[in-house]
Amino acid sequence: MSECDEVLARLFLRRPLDAGAAAHLSACPRCSSEQRHVRRVAEALASHDVPPPASTLSARVLGAAAPLLARHARRAAWRTLARALSAALVPLPLIVFLDFYLMRAMYGVLDALLPRALSLYVVFNYAATLTLLLALTYGMIPIVAERQMRLRREESRA
Amino acid sequence: MATDEDLIGAVATGDGRALEELCRRYERGLHQFIFRHTGGRDVDDLYQETWLRVVRAARRFDRRRRFSTWLFQIAVNLCRDWHRRRPPEPVDPADIEATREGTAAAADAALDARRLLAALPEPQRSAVILRYYHDLGEEEMAEVLGCPRGTVKSRLHHAMARLTQMARQ
Repeated sequence: MSECDEVLARLFLRRPLDAGAAAHLSACPRCSSEQRHVRRVAEALASHDVPPPASTLSARVLGAAAPLLARHARRAAWRTLARALSAALVPLPLIVFLDFYLMRAMYGVLDALLPRALSLYVVFNYAATLTLLLALTYGMIPIVAERQMRLRREESRA
Repeated sequence: MATDEDLIGAVATGDGRALEELCRRYERGLHQFIFRHTGGRDVDDLYQETWLRVVRAARRFDRRRRFSTWLFQIAVNLCRDWHRRRPPEPVDPADIEATREGTAAAADAALDARRLLAALPEPQRSAVILRYYHDLGEEEMAEVLGCPRGTVKSRLHHAMARLTQMARQ
């Protein structure tokens, strides 16, 4: 870009001229003849007033976007739930495997100390409690995932 | 305060309040951009379509980019499409009368910004609006317009030459 172009561009954008540019403007015959037209254009552009947007415009946009947002929300909820479930299901086989061996060992010990029926009863109780706890834990996953999503949304809004 | 990029992330999860906040932040700037680009025609429709495209593509938004650049890129593309299949200009009988009379007022209005901008080809008009009214740097303009920085410079240069030529006539 030549010096003339730079000076004229500054005039066009209504930027202040530094000493060098001002000196060039007064010395350069091309720039001195052009500056009047460039200033006229710049003034005309600057006077271009745009009416403010209608007060109902945002509401109109939000109304039109509502179905799209609802779709995003549904998709995001499913994605979060799927992620949470898959993360929670990964250690499940290990938990079941360990509990199975623990119960078997416990039954072996109890069988040596107590009558068989009582040992079976204790081990069965333990297994039932464990199953209930696991069911509760996995049942809580959708609730926790939804709560986390809500918190994340609130954090991003804050 | 949440950044624009955080808000668009929230929009991607269906957060309506995040969209409302983004609309509030860019309402004026985006509306003015579209208004100047189309000469005030179909502004509300294009404005709404810009936001709908934003919402539709929110999940694909690259968080390393600036939201404003992306938003204006969408608006530029929409305005470009609008110019391609522009509906015929509505004719105001008062305009015809004024042209016939060739009044001094009509001559004075020859250099109004709307006419100046309308006289520019679409790529140059986008460049002038983004530079002159939105004060975007060349780098950001290049991203919005999807062209190299050198092309932005040359578009601005040619636009200025054309506008000055109009002022000279």
